[in-house]
Amino acid sequence: MGEETATAQQIADREMIARIGRGDQSAFSALYDRLSGPLYSLALRMLRDSADAQEALQDVFLQIWARAGTYDPEQSSVFSWTVLLTRSRVIDRLRARDRRLRLAVVSTDDKESRADASTIESAADTADRNDEAARVRFVLNNLPSEQREAIELAFFEHLTHQEIAAQLGQPLGTIKARIRRGLLKLRQRLRI
Amino acid sequence: MISEEQQDQAAVYVLGLLDSAEAGAFESALAADPALRDFVRELRDAAGDLALSAPAHTPPASLKQRVMREIAIKAKPSASVSIQRTALTWLPWAIAAGLIVFCGVLALDRFRLQRELTDVRATDPLMQTIFFTLSPSPPAPADAKVTVAWQPSRQSGVIRITNLPAPQPGRDYQLWAVDAAHKDPISAGVIRVDENGVAQLRFRPVDRAQQVKAFAISLEREGGVPKKEGPILFAGTA
Repeated sequence: MGEETATAQQIADREMIARIGRGDQSAFSALYDRLSGPLYSLALRMLRDSADAQEALQDVFLQIWARAGTYDPEQSSVFSWTVLLTRSRVIDRLRARDRRLRLAVVSTDDKESRADASTIESAADTADRNDEAARVRFVLNNLPSEQREAIELAFFEHLTHQEIAAQLGQPLGTIKARIRRGLLKLRQRLRI
Repeated sequence: MISEEQQDQAAVYVLGLLDSAEAGAFESALAADPALRDFVRELRDAAGDLALSAPAHTPPASLKQRVMREIAIKAKPSASVSIQRTALTWLPWAIAAGLIVFCGVLALDRFRLQRELTDVRATDPLMQTIFFTLSPSPPAPADAKVTVAWQPSRQSGVIRITNLPAPQPGRDYQLWAVDAAHKDPISAGVIRVDENGVAQLRFRPVDRAQQVKAFAISLEREGGVPKKEGPILFAGTA
């Protein structure tokens, strides 16, 4: 996707990243305000522990500060870049944990994270972000269930495609194709 | 035109699900194909959107204060450097001049060494050989070992395999060279292991390889296929 298809928000994000690359702390503060909510939500969804998620988020923002100069707009939007950075830091943390423990808490996830009073979404959060999130959830929930399931296991649970194939009893190629089709549909429907 | 197989591989690559050998092979293909790079960018942005589907939470305000303190500390050394720069503006020029002289000496020495190395390479076949170690991916047995010795100038190589059971009837193992100048892997022929799970043979890719980035072995229909269809069992870079 080139410059001509970038949204105003994406262009503003790139400008902020460029300023951060030059050491601008006020741009960094603004980017933190814009992205910390979604990135923290992602970290919490994957780690299921608010203290761990906060540490991961701190690592991510320090990485953004250190690596802003290496951001390449040809490879992804700023938002996707920071999401994938976050996911990578979270996966490092998950790997450091006992894998069996991680699998044991999968089924008790959402109750736990939603009950954490310190992290419940504040009323001051922007309506825009909530609208966008609601739209993504709607599109995701309306994907064919087998595609949504494969994507969620890969993205949030960080199961390998081999593990997903074993868990769902499907051939490896089928799982790869479901992930690919689901991601493309998600992208196409969000662009409308 | 991006094949469905490449599209599938791109999706799992974006989610970080490929092992390092597979990711290396995919990145080689990515470097050579602008359409594939655009496709990967689309998938990355889709993956970014996925994060918004997580239940929304806000981090505590104290976290921002901690992060801002940390970056203020990291930013300080550059401030002191800029003060020194003002006071000692001549120093970088002096260092640069010294480096230019030093680089000139190094360049002469490098030229001499390169000539010697070229002479040695021209006469010693071992010096022209690149070694690849291929790592197994399920369902290949974890203790199977595959090594490839590749001689670009001769466009041929030797592969050695141990601890790999014969495939089921109707199937064959097939070797592929992942080349920087080719969109698809180049077939290097079918490989048959003996009853002890061992194979050692010389091979030659069906097409000329310019710069082999990786070798891979897939499980294919008996007799082999012109274009890879089956799952990758082994892959590795030099």
